[in-house]
Amino acid sequence: MLMDNLLHTIVLMLEGTQVTLEIFCITLVLALPTGLLAALGRISSLKPVSLLMEFYVWIMRGTPLMLQLLFVYFALPLVGIKLPDIAAALLAFVLNYAAYFAEIFRAGIQSISRGQYEAAKTLGMTYPQTMRRIIIPQMIRHVLPPISNETINLVKDTSLIYILAMNDLLRVARTIVQREFDMTPFVIAGVFYLAMTFVLTWAFKKLEAHYAKYDE
Amino acid sequence: MQNMMNDNSMLRMRGIHKRFGELEVLKGIDFSVAKGDVLAIIGPSGSGKSTMLRCINRLEEIDAGTIEIKGRVLVQNNADGVAEYVSEVESREILSCTGMVFQQFNLFPHMTVMQNLLEAPVQVKKRPAEEVRPEAEELLRKVGLFEKRDCYPGRLSGGQQQRVAIARALAMKPDIMLFDEPTSALDPELTGEVLKTMRELAAEHMTMVVVTHEMAFAREAANHVMFMADGVIVEQGRPEEFFAHPVQERTIAFLKNML
Repeated sequence: MLMDNLLHTIVLMLEGTQVTLEIFCITLVLALPTGLLAALGRISSLKPVSLLMEFYVWIMRGTPLMLQLLFVYFALPLVGIKLPDIAAALLAFVLNYAAYFAEIFRAGIQSISRGQYEAAKTLGMTYPQTMRRIIIPQMIRHVLPPISNETINLVKDTSLIYILAMNDLLRVARTIVQREFDMTPFVIAGVFYLAMTFVLTWAFKKLEAHYAKYDE
Repeated sequence: MQNMMNDNSMLRMRGIHKRFGELEVLKGIDFSVAKGDVLAIIGPSGSGKSTMLRCINRLEEIDAGTIEIKGRVLVQNNADGVAEYVSEVESREILSCTGMVFQQFNLFPHMTVMQNLLEAPVQVKKRPAEEVRPEAEELLRKVGLFEKRDCYPGRLSGGQQQRVAIARALAMKPDIMLFDEPTSALDPELTGEVLKTMRELAAEHMTMVVVTHEMAFAREAANHVMFMADGVIVEQGRPEEFFAHPVQERTIAFLKNML
């Protein structure tokens, strides 16, 4: 491959990376709070709310993400819900990842001892105050490792939008490979994914170090 | 205790019944605590003494009976003889004059000692942190832990943590302090510093209800001792009387074992 050609390939793939990163970032920013709300709903004493959340998590974890993407993209328009491509992909990603995050948050919240709730209660704190000030900040420390795992999975799962004909990193790579009969773009794509997950791993390490400033 | 009738009454418990499923843990408890009283509750494990204490501030809910705190009804029986609590908001307000210290300290591990003390006054009473801080510093000096104000609880010994927990409860300026076996989770050499802090509090006429295994504390710092077994109050009295001349057989057997 000529130098020019290689440069051109890399530029195209950087554009694909941008799409990948967009999906990744927006999904993460929306799925984390959604997952927390779902977790709070799941542990709620209101039975209908907690049952609804359990059902939601069951559906999202029990079916393939690929199927969910296809459903949002192809089936929803049939009932009159037509979303722009990127929004459709995001909807599926956010709903799916929020369900996984919800389970992680729920386990994290339930790992906090009852004594913390009791101490907060005897100090006059309300349930929302207790969750916001006492329980959730401690929960974050416990859930960082599994959240880090899921987040790295998300980087790789973004490649599924390839089936929706969106030009993310993987699709760009494949297009070039098919046109040029050269496997280099696959190698470059692999390096790009590794670079992204490397940055994430580093960032989560920093976060974990930050939250390790106190002993339990 | 002597003074049952008037505005001196801090806490009044009448006909308290509580069950966990099949097991009846409180079988009709009656007593009162007057302002400045230090009541020590002793008894074997499983006697219901901790449950009784936790019923006072609604960490457990009773099935029947009346609880009044500073003359305000927290819970009383309805026409069917079933305990009925006041609203959540009113309950919170009534209980705002109580503070509690736990066996396991239950400090907030993600906050420094100072943040632990500021948390409730700032979040619950909505007071500015800068106004609360000098009071919190004063409390920390009192329990001898001012130098530790920027430490996280995990870095402190059990005895130090428990003293911080006492200071944290005091930061809300309670009128009555509840202690649930405050020294039971501590190594023997660390109980002394916690008991000293509690003695000082008693000397300042803080109203205290203390569930404890520390007979020396009950004898010296309390002005009333109550012995519970199997969900009832077996015997009670002034400590000098109680320890010198116990009447009930179970009390005598228990005290013999403890000494």
